Amino acid sequence: MTRATEAATFFGITATLYLALLFQWLPITLPKTVQEFTLPVLPWWALVTFGAYSLGNIGYHVLTFRDCPEAYDELQVQISQAQNDLRSKGVSIK
Amino acid sequence: MAGQHKYSVLLPTYNERENLPVIVWLLTKTFQENNIDYEIIVIDDNSPDGTLEIAKQLQKIYGEDRILLRPRAGKLGLGTAYVHGIQHATGDFIFILDADMSHHPKFMTEMIRLQQAKNLDVVTGTRYAGNGGVYGWDLKRKVISRGANFLATVLLRPGVSDLTGSFRLYKKEVLAKLISSCISKGYVFQMEMMVRARQFNFTIGEVPITFVDRVFGDSKMGAMEIVGFAKGLLQLFVAV
Ligand SMILES: Nc1nc2c(ncn2[C@@H]2O[C@H](COP(=O)(O)OP(=O)(O)OP(=O)(O)O)[C@@H](O)[C@H]2O)c(=O)[nH]1
Ligand SMILES: [Mg+2]
Repeated sequence: MTRATEAATFFGITATLYLALLFQWLPITLPKTVQEFTLPVLPWWALVTFGAYSLGNIGYHVLTFRDCPEAYDELQVQISQAQNDLRSKGVSIK
Repeated sequence: MAGQHKYSVLLPTYNERENLPVIVWLLTKTFQENNIDYEIIVIDDNSPDGTLEIAKQLQKIYGEDRILLRPRAGKLGLGTAYVHGIQHATGDFIFILDADMSHHPKFMTEMIRLQQAKNLDVVTGTRYAGNGGVYGWDLKRKVISRGANFLATVLLRPGVSDLTGSFRLYKKEVLAKLISSCISKGYVFQMEMMVRARQFNFTIGEVPITFVDRVFGDSKMGAMEIVGFAKGLLQLFVAV
């Protein structure tokens, strides 16, 4: 199964289940508040939650993305070492 | 530290005249200091800046058994450069890294250590975990990178933290198998390698690395790269 079919299966099952509850196709009686107030807004709640999670996740990782100036400094030193060494061995480096 | 093993480095170059000597110097230094058997395979695509000339000079210094030149007639792209390179590799392990010094060879020892400790099929460098990091990235670039990685992780669930990184160590036969089953090009190719690796149940380990933006030469990162990334990601989503 590809990731796309996995996702499609998941959404298909979830949507069917949701519609069944929403339109009371099943012999289940939910509490009145759930049936009338919670169910109709559930998809929007899920969407907003996922959006907030995504933004939070990306934002957190951007903020904690480590800068490594020490790696740059080390590299600069090694670049001149390498260039000097190779130049002395006859490599044409500007 | 490496026992009987030999490590082949695939180094695709396009206009890396200034970077190639330094990266080769750093690679040989790391290998020699750790007593590791190695070869460096330079795959130059007829770079107009004369990268191949420099590569020949380096070959004279380090020897023809250490520096192998496998040039091609024109710019044929990164993916096929690996295919071309691996055909000439005599090592049982393959390192892939960029020639522009964004990837520092010093991390190879840690990657080898992890590979040996767990007998892993693939070890990949990650900028996004542990002590990993980047240098020279502004906020915008960080957001794009993190956003792209998040999207890719949600869609593909690959089980590694850095999907688009390209500093990796492979068992040779594992890389050969992955390359032959990959369909995408460019950036997306690196992602697909990880996704396929998971699909084939290869074992993957991660080593935090630092990533320094290229010092010499121009960066090509732009809007086209982002569009290409999005297209490739969707293709992988439906294909893998
Ligand atoms: N042989 C070959 N090498 C290539 C080709 N395109 C890129 N490369 C090399 O592949 C490595 C990665 O390419 P980069 O240009 O650094 O790509 P990048 O890191 O995504 O982008 P930058 O920001 O420009 O560094 C470098 O060593 C390049 O020289 C190609 O068509 N053929
Ligand atoms: Mg680069």
